Parts: sequence; C-alpha cells; structure tokens
Amino acid sequence: MSIKRSVSLYSLQEEYIHKKMSLEDMFKGLENIEADLEFITDQMMKNSPFPRMETLNEWDRLIRTYKVKPICNDIFVNTNLYANRKLKTHEAIDMLIHEIKLAHRLGFGIVRLVSMTPPEIIEPALPYAEAYDVILAMEVHGAMSFDDYETKAFCDIMFRVNSPYLGLVVDTGIFCRNHPKVATNYFLNHGLNPEVAKFIDGIYKSGKDPKQVLGTGMFLGKNQHGQTYPKELTDLFKSEVDALYCMFSCAYENSPIEILDPYLPYVKHFHGKIYDVNEAGIESSIDYKEIFDYLNKKNWSGYVSTEYEGNRFAVEGEEVSGWQQVLRHQSYMKKLIEGSKV
Amino acid sequence: MFERYIFRKDSCKNVVKASETVGFEVKTYVSYYRSVPLSMIHKIEITVDGVKSKPEDILFTPDQKEWFTFEEMKTAALYKWEYGEEATIFVKQPGGLSKGEHQVKLEIAIRTPYVPVPFGGAVTRDIVI
Repeated sequence: MSIKRSVSLYSLQEEYIHKKMSLEDMFKGLENIEADLEFITDQMMKNSPFPRMETLNEWDRLIRTYKVKPICNDIFVNTNLYANRKLKTHEAIDMLIHEIKLAHRLGFGIVRLVSMTPPEIIEPALPYAEAYDVILAMEVHGAMSFDDYETKAFCDIMFRVNSPYLGLVVDTGIFCRNHPKVATNYFLNHGLNPEVAKFIDGIYKSGKDPKQVLGTGMFLGKNQHGQTYPKELTDLFKSEVDALYCMFSCAYENSPIEILDPYLPYVKHFHGKIYDVNEAGIESSIDYKEIFDYLNKKNWSGYVSTEYEGNRFAVEGEEVSGWQQVLRHQSYMKKLIEGSKV
Repeated sequence: MFERYIFRKDSCKNVVKASETVGFEVKTYVSYYRSVPLSMIHKIEITVDGVKSKPEDILFTPDQKEWFTFEEMKTAALYKWEYGEEATIFVKQPGGLSKGEHQVKLEIAIRTPYVPVPFGGAVTRDIVI
C-alpha cells in the first residue's frame, strides 16, 4: 500500500499547443521520472471519443514503447452540446458509455467525471463501467466540492450503491492556505484593484475561504439565490475585473484536510494541483507535506497526479514552463513518498 | 484566461480568390483547454473599426477542410475544433479591408458543461493592410 505518482498532461497544455513538446516527448519525459499518466482525450487525442484508427495505432505504439501506465482519463459529458436545449438523460448516458468504452480501449482504469455531471446518468452507466472495468470517479473541485448540489447527489449514489466502480477524484485546490499569487498577479495586470486582492487575502488570514464569505455561483456579483457580495467588498469595486476576481477566487477552498475523513475510502485518485512551485519543491498555496502525512496515516493507496494550472495565468508572450513545474513537484512528492526529509 | 489563444498575431489578412478580394480572415485557437464540437461554440463576433460583421457573412473552418456557416455549426455535434488547431474565420466583404490601419476585434465564447455561462474572451488588434 502506498501513494504513487502520475502527471496529468493538463500540466503540459502550453507545451502542446505551442508545439514545444509532442505527445511522445511527454511519454518520454514521464518515463524518465518514473511517473504514470493522466490524460485528457478531449485535449490531445483527435476526434475523441471516436478517434480514427491511425490515432489509436499511434497511442498503442506509445504505450508499447514507454514504461508509462495510463491511470486516469479526464472526461466531459457535454450536456450543453446544443444551444437550444440540454441533452436528454438518455443522450447523456450514451455519451458517457462512449467515454467508458474509449477509456477501456486506451487502457485507463479510471475516468474522471467533471463536476456537475448529471447524477441521473450514473447508475444507468454503471453496468458498462463494470463490464469495461473502468471506475467512474466524480471530481471534487474548488467551488464545486462537497457542499455542491451535484457533488452531494453523486456522493449519495456512491454511498448507497457502494460499488468499487464508483468513487471520487479530489482536487487538492480545496486545500489552499492562501490565494494563489500567480492568479492575483494575472488579475492585477488586468486592472484588479489591489484593495480587492487584500480583502480576499484577509479572508484566508481569518482561516476562512472566499466561498464561505462570498457564496458560490456569483456572476457579476450576484448568484441565483439573489445573494450578493458584502458591501465593504463591493465598495472597493472599480471595474468589472474586481467582481470577476472575486468570482474566480471561489474556485479555491481552504478546507481542513479532515474534510476527507468520511470520503477517503471512496477516493480513487487525487489531482495534485500546483500553481507555482519553487525550486525546493514547495507549492505556493498547498502544503503537500500536510496532505501526504494525512494520506500515509490513513494508509491510502492510489495516485496523486500533478496538475499544473499556473499556465492559465500567463499573459500573451509570457513563457511558462509546465514541464519545470512538473519536475519540481514530482521530485518533492517522490521525497514525501520515500519518507526522506523535505 | 484563454485570451492568449484568441486571434493569432499577424493572422488578419485579405483573401483573394480568382484575382478578386472577396473578404478577410483571422486565425484563432479555441478559447478553452480542450477540443469542442462546433455546436458548443456559442459566439463568434468580428468587429472592424467599431462595426460588427453580420453573422451570415462569417464562415468558419476548424481544419482547413470543411467550411461552416454559424447556422451550420449549431448542429455540428460530431465535428470538432481540436485544441491546438488554428481555425480560420472568414468574413465575406467584397474588396476586403481597405489599405491602412484598422482595429479588429475577435470575440469567442464557448459553452462548457460545468460553467453556467458561456465563456471565452475578446481580443482587439491594431492591424495594417
């Protein structure tokens, strides 16, 4: 029983789009650092979930050539595929079944269901998950975590059905101890009032997180329940960037690690979120030592997958190195796993 | 967030067909981190010097193989705009953009299942024809 390491290629999307690394380069890199693979077929596999034969042949060649195991595929059920209507339940079930079959074909044992996946499609798809040996694991992500309606509904099914084929992927962005600096800097560059940034930082200093103080689902400062931001915050708003920053700030949570206690037996996989990792391997907002100490104490086994997201706060022309961030985080996690001093 | 993907630099130019300038084009990546079926593209708008192009004058290709009108894209649920592929947006305008400087704005919005409102962004570039 131990924690294992993988890398989500989400981390390397900038390298991919700017053609600095091919899919093969990524496999090669992962093999070098003895990490396994998390993938997003919708990102790097053409015509997914119906890839052409030549695409599948190339995938098979990479799997044969490199010592890298496919662990988890991040999938999306496009419920708003059409502008004029939501997908009917039956259509959404079929889409999920296509994804299960593809994951199986590619060798993945887990599919990550994106937050808000309709709970009513889970049980009808479960026989396919069993038949194709693919676990359906709902993502628990900041702004859409354990108190979210869809996440709760999924967990109710998961507890009731208690199948080894239903579980969770937890994104460690719910354990932020401060607001990610790279995100703040991005918004400051786009005209964020520094006083608003200070207000959000103050929420963390008080031990809370923006979601608890501001509420979720805020668009333009108001959510569907008519809830609005506190007046002392809106008084600081000078442009729409300020409201936008506050809305995005709710995508990080400052939950205690023990929030996982009742869920941990169902947690199949972690997204080890990173925003900015320094040379010593320390993530700017998330304490990985705290997380690994907890998981080791609980004897949890599974993969923690590096998921670098600092890339999305780059401005045009700015170079970000997802690969460097991945290396730093992986080497730090390796030390945590081996129990060496960090 | 994904503005840096929208409206590739130096991609705006007039399009000449059979020695006639029939319009202009711009190139762009998808304003998201994954591929989407064309039916999930919620909005494509081009504004030149403050004047918005008519939707019916816009043609879109995600791969330089097939061209779609915006109406056609609405039902293209199996045809994908791949992450990392430059799409071309063509605007029909006899004579194209006139010689000189122009301010061209491209706005894209994508629907995605876990975000309640379509999202994307707008990028404006000063270009010279």
